[in-house]
Amino acid sequence: MKTSFITLIITLIALTGFSQKPEYYQAMGESLGQYASCKTPEDFQALGNRFSMIANNEKEEWLPIYYHAHCYIIMSFMEPSDAKKKDSYLDVAEKSLKQLETMVPGEAEVFALQAMLYTARLVVNPMERGQQYSMLIGQSLGRASALDPSNPRAKLLKIQNNMGSANHFGKDPKEFCGQATDLLAGWETYTPKSQLHPAWGKDQAEELVRSCR
Amino acid sequence: MRVYLLFLFFLLIKAISAQTIISGTVNAQNDGALTGANIYLKGTYDGTSSDVNGRFSFKTQKSGNNTLMVEFIGYESFAKEVNLTGTEINLLIELKETFSRLDAVTITAGTFEAGDKKQANTITSLDMITTAGAAGDVFGALQTLPGTTTIGESGRLFVKGGDSEESQTYIDGALVHTPYISTAPNTATRGRFNPFMFKGTIFSTGGYSAEYGQALSSVLLLNTNDMPTQDQLDISVLSVGPEVAGTKLWGKGAITATLTYNNLQPYMNLVPQNFEWKKAPESASAAISLRQKTGKTGMLKLYASFDDGKFKLAQEDLTQEKMVDFALGNRNMFINTSYRTALNKNWVAATSASFTADADDVSFDGNQFDKALKGFHLKQTVSNELNEKVTFRGGGEWFSRSVEQSYQTVADTFVNQYDNNTFAAFAEAEIYASKRFVTRVGARVEHSSYLKKTNFAPRLTAAWKLNETSQFSMAWGWFHQNPNDDFLIYTNKLDYERADHYILSYQSAKSGRTLRTEVYLKDYRNLVKQNSNEFFVHEIYNNAGSGFAAGLDLFWRDKKSIKNGDYWISYSYLDTKRDYRNYPELAVPTFASKHNLAVVYKHWFGELRSLAGINYIYSSPRVYNNPNSEKFNSEKTLTYQSLDVSWSFLYRQNIIFYVAVTNVPGFKQEFGRRFSDQPGQDGLFKSSAIVPGSNRFYVIAILITLTQKGIENQLDKIQ
Repeated sequence: MKTSFITLIITLIALTGFSQKPEYYQAMGESLGQYASCKTPEDFQALGNRFSMIANNEKEEWLPIYYHAHCYIIMSFMEPSDAKKKDSYLDVAEKSLKQLETMVPGEAEVFALQAMLYTARLVVNPMERGQQYSMLIGQSLGRASALDPSNPRAKLLKIQNNMGSANHFGKDPKEFCGQATDLLAGWETYTPKSQLHPAWGKDQAEELVRSCR
Repeated sequence: MRVYLLFLFFLLIKAISAQTIISGTVNAQNDGALTGANIYLKGTYDGTSSDVNGRFSFKTQKSGNNTLMVEFIGYESFAKEVNLTGTEINLLIELKETFSRLDAVTITAGTFEAGDKKQANTITSLDMITTAGAAGDVFGALQTLPGTTTIGESGRLFVKGGDSEESQTYIDGALVHTPYISTAPNTATRGRFNPFMFKGTIFSTGGYSAEYGQALSSVLLLNTNDMPTQDQLDISVLSVGPEVAGTKLWGKGAITATLTYNNLQPYMNLVPQNFEWKKAPESASAAISLRQKTGKTGMLKLYASFDDGKFKLAQEDLTQEKMVDFALGNRNMFINTSYRTALNKNWVAATSASFTADADDVSFDGNQFDKALKGFHLKQTVSNELNEKVTFRGGGEWFSRSVEQSYQTVADTFVNQYDNNTFAAFAEAEIYASKRFVTRVGARVEHSSYLKKTNFAPRLTAAWKLNETSQFSMAWGWFHQNPNDDFLIYTNKLDYERADHYILSYQSAKSGRTLRTEVYLKDYRNLVKQNSNEFFVHEIYNNAGSGFAAGLDLFWRDKKSIKNGDYWISYSYLDTKRDYRNYPELAVPTFASKHNLAVVYKHWFGELRSLAGINYIYSSPRVYNNPNSEKFNSEKTLTYQSLDVSWSFLYRQNIIFYVAVTNVPGFKQEFGRRFSDQPGQDGLFKSSAIVPGSNRFYVIAILITLTQKGIENQLDKIQ
């Protein structure tokens, strides 16, 4: 049932843009559909490869580059211990994000993703990078919410970071639970600009709420 | 229904087109299979990724001539023309590693680099500050690294058998003429600079680049912070005095102003002292730091500081057998500026300059001894990345130094002074033969107007990476330095002193653990000899001295084995002898310890919001000369040991409490003996033990940072 549902969505997405770039919409739709089945860093790398290939074909589209960076940030979080590898994945993601910053300078999603990248950098070595990167994360999230105050991914990352630093400094992260619950409750009220636009994050928001119980 | 039909339509198209299967394996050149390589037909959506065995296979509807692309991070892209006819294509693809300096081999012989950028660093900027026994002193923290010897009665850097004056300190490329604060004879000094001014540190204990001259043993390169990120006010209250620093930003610039006042009187009232202080050390200083971005790539930095300090203590005059007052007043002005900009795509230019005016006024038993130093350094460098594998650097320098010493007794005044201008030029090339092998070849020429002599110094380093985690480095070079001020004020009939370095080093770094070993030999020649006690007669000086230093350094750092814990162990073995100054023969110098050990441990207690540090320092006995003994430098000092602890507590995110205690177990510390100038009536020189100012040192501090957001903290300031 689930598979046929996904197929339907993919077809719908493909159809929406069918008149102009059928292959682009089909490829993007298929690739976005694969997110759910990615389990390992290798899966995300393969998916990242897909997006990079799409980006090569569609020079004006920013979304494939966005998802390419997103996959590599996830890979960094999934890598268990090798700090050098984590940073090398993030170097790839950072390159894509730099490209996006000039391509779509007013896009809140890009700055939210940038905050996620900096979070991943921080996680590699919180002791040494804490100060520098928590500031950068704050700046990126500030820009994201200035551009789009209701962006749920910017909110999500903010809560995640607040909880993380509360943990690090021995405070109670539960003080942010209210915000997490509100975020999850209002998740569906935010409509992405198109079916290809970023929509991820609900799972993580659910996880935050679960951790509060 | 329409949707369904269209979907069918897609399938139909797929079915009727001719299909070609493209399959194969992706390998790294000289290495195994590559997993996750991106394989696709250029300009199409047909492609796949390689699996764990490097294998791949995909179908395409396209026909005719197409380009197959294979891409993987860290490897050069591969492109191949394929003709799609419906027959399966099977390929064996080998990717070539791309050259990237970031993960290429680096020269590590003799060098400790501290910065936050790279994972491979042996120590970081934060370590410089959080080392327990260092109490916030850059030089103190460096003394926990191998190749250094802790000399308790000096506090200065002594590197690989070299005297402290053989080490030079540079800030943003410009020479610091007076890196240490002025202290009484036989008491430990500290650095003048706050460690959190610096974003990066390179400490080279030998074999350094041709860019650096006028140092026989080591160079310490301190790089100041770039642009601050927000307006803030830092208030620190230490047990020795308060400090206030304010930072203000504007468009492309920022200014930080710092005021510091230290007075040890209240502290000394509480903590027992070994010296008889008539006036406890008191100092006031003001500093300004300016940052301005210019154009797209330019950055101008300016730092200026003014210091005024004084103290007075009573010391026993062993010759006259009475207590005499020793008073010192020091005024120091230091200006450092640097400008760095890209000239065009390939050329980068950096200019740095520093100016120091330092005056020590000492009065001792009614005699007045004044020393004034004016120093200037200007350096211009250009560098060009000729291509990704070759970098050229070159430049010129002008060192100016003017020293005046006056000695005034009741009866007489003696004034001696000298001015010297040293001009230098250097050039070097760094050449990567591959990702695994790099050489740096350079040379340096210096001319001194006062000595009227020119020297030439070749330098060569190479590094060879065995595999991802380990590498060998070697360094060789000639190093020159002008003789000490104390000789040059009497004569210019001297030549440069010289040391030749031979260093071989091995480093292995793997996920949070680093091991370094280094063996070295230093060959000293042309050291200044003083052939009589009549120091003011210029004929008694010559360059007939010589010496050697050989040793083994070990460094082990482990950030991984203990959760939230981090430790390093440094050990140095040193074998050295020299015949210089007034030494009658080749002898072990007084500043050499055969065995040196430092163990540093830090632990983060998340629930307590605290960073705790503990370190242990050990130096084996050194020699000192007893004029009552026939044999030169034949007496031994006590073993030096210190166990220091520190505790930093993050009360709020912007308020930190800090406590540190040195020498907690109260190890007896004694640095040899000093002797009277003249023998007594019994023909013997009288002596007394050289001891530290106090057996323990306590620091208590509160650090507060105020910003508009109020969350910034001084965590990186924890000392």
